[in-house]
Amino acid sequence: MEKTTKVLMKRYELGRLLGQGTFGKVYYGKSKITNQSVAIKMIDKDKVIRNEQADNIIREISIMRLIKHPNVIQLFEVMASKGKIYFVIEYAKGGELFEKVAKGKLKEEVAHKYFKQLVSAVDFCHSRGVYHRDIKPENILLDENENLKVSDFGLSAFAESKRQDGLLHTTCGTPAYVAPEVIKRKGYDGAKADIWSCGVVLFVLLAGYVPFNDTNLMEMYKKVSKGDFKCPNWFPKNVKKLMCKMLDPNPDTRISIDKIKRCSWFKYGANGRQKKDEGENKTTLSCVTTNPSDQRDETRSDDLEVEAKEEPVVPVSINAFDIISLSSGFNLCGIFEDSFKKREAKFTSRQPASVIISRLEEIAKRLKLKIKKRAAGLLKLERVDEGRKGNLAIDAEIFEVTPFFHLVEVKKSNGDTLEYHKILNEDIRPALQDIVWVWQGELHEQSEQQQQSQS
Amino acid sequence: MSISMSCFCLMKSSRPKIKREPFSFLALETSFTVNEVEALLYLFKKLSSSIVDDGCIHKEEFQLALFRNSSKQNLLANRVFDMFDIKCNGVIEFGEFVRSLSIFHPKASEEKKIEFAFKLFDLGKNGYIEHCEVKEMVLATLTESEVTIPDDIVESIVEKTMKEVDSKGDGKIDMEEWKEYAEKNPSLLKIMTLPYLKDITLAFPSFVLHTEVED
Repeated sequence: MEKTTKVLMKRYELGRLLGQGTFGKVYYGKSKITNQSVAIKMIDKDKVIRNEQADNIIREISIMRLIKHPNVIQLFEVMASKGKIYFVIEYAKGGELFEKVAKGKLKEEVAHKYFKQLVSAVDFCHSRGVYHRDIKPENILLDENENLKVSDFGLSAFAESKRQDGLLHTTCGTPAYVAPEVIKRKGYDGAKADIWSCGVVLFVLLAGYVPFNDTNLMEMYKKVSKGDFKCPNWFPKNVKKLMCKMLDPNPDTRISIDKIKRCSWFKYGANGRQKKDEGENKTTLSCVTTNPSDQRDETRSDDLEVEAKEEPVVPVSINAFDIISLSSGFNLCGIFEDSFKKREAKFTSRQPASVIISRLEEIAKRLKLKIKKRAAGLLKLERVDEGRKGNLAIDAEIFEVTPFFHLVEVKKSNGDTLEYHKILNEDIRPALQDIVWVWQGELHEQSEQQQQSQS
Repeated sequence: MSISMSCFCLMKSSRPKIKREPFSFLALETSFTVNEVEALLYLFKKLSSSIVDDGCIHKEEFQLALFRNSSKQNLLANRVFDMFDIKCNGVIEFGEFVRSLSIFHPKASEEKKIEFAFKLFDLGKNGYIEHCEVKEMVLATLTESEVTIPDDIVESIVEKTMKEVDSKGDGKIDMEEWKEYAEKNPSLLKIMTLPYLKDITLAFPSFVLHTEVED
């Protein structure tokens, strides 16, 4: 044992200093229980209270709690003593992306990968009403597998903190990466400002230098507000196009995240262009190579379906304790917050299993969900298109109470919760309507509404 | 509703002061850290003040939290409440709340979870889970979901389950049989784990400003 090892709150062994923020230092740490590497942000409570930042700290914690995404640094827990507050956050072993760019521009395929991950992280946060507002290479870290992790939500603000005009009003951020409307200290749309910063990051990744630069700060601001920049000639044509749309000084006409995700370079990067070129050369193949990824997916799903059909879905018969554990009186999730949305939905059906299964298969086909697996009473469905947090995957599990009475549990096994709730409520529930006997929780909601209206 | 309102007025004036045991004691005894216990206090305050702000969770408050309806009776919810009410004085105090929730912690031992579930299902508290108790709970759960299944089918489901668990064949389930069964069927204990408890410091972060932990 090293003598110098300091242990924090009996839980984390402290290591070297990783960085310095406004309110304190960030150290490397290691959990004494799980051995997991973490970063620990130490904040002086005195400083926080002196600067009237107490509410902001609480808000920052609430924000970070909402954000669980593979490309965003996660907050694991907060600890506190009388004098200090500790944020235990995910440790990104690969360090700052900035260090990579400092060595020179990145290869197109590498930049493409990072850009996709960045947009995915930003899109996810925006869907939760969280805007980063200070996206720059120093806030973009890499993990040990070279995956991008956006860090430091310290400056972000909730959509709730918008004034009545729906715009954010604080200026923050670093000049080189900040959108013109932010510099002008006008109210601004956090989503559009983040898109601008992502545009600057993309430029830096591919060029190795910032698009707007001048030794004179006023001159630099002028360039930013005019969107006055030049793409180096090695930028591919579709990147130049995207660049102009992202670095549009007018936030109203600036491209949206949805449109970025639909543009050809975002989808295929350098890869798509090469494949397309190949296709053009070999004319016999050109018709099938235009969209290589889609093609592959379709054939794969066909294979799977054939494979899967050999194994029939036989529902698992349910025992007495399984039934009892379905009681809502036994489900303590309710004592926590309302925002803790249920991942699963359960319904009972008076149809035989074969009818339920074929209905689920029909729905899957119509909604373009691949049937990934069929096992005992289980259908695993997965969306072909990548969503905000990877491919949405849904499990439907069928339990037999009697041959003419089944219980079906539908739950998300991967992907974005909001996307899941949307497809569940808008597509899956209505499509199941005539085979459902009762959705769990629905009757009690109804009776509750009746009660409320009576009282 | 009107009854609880009048109660509210009465109880507020004669509000009993409850002496709280030190958080460090609770932390030592449970799967929680002192900070986590402090965060749980915010949850407890919210639940215990929803109808009567007297520092205890009453059954109506518990039902309100679970079902958003303070008068909704539910067999299993009643059992859970009774299990939390370790002192059996009709209310859940903070110490009881922390100790009981600790069993639902993802880090808590499986053995404790198995034991808790057994006691919960032993409606008659005689050390055995009996056929009639299992049937009562199954029927209660089905009724709650407005599901009607013919009695002979319910009977056969209960019969079959009893046979699976009652390895000694004496018609009732004892703790030993239950342990053996639960270890083989981990899905039974899924409901005994609340992943949310891992996140408790993030869900109730206000404790960071008022913690009593020394530096």
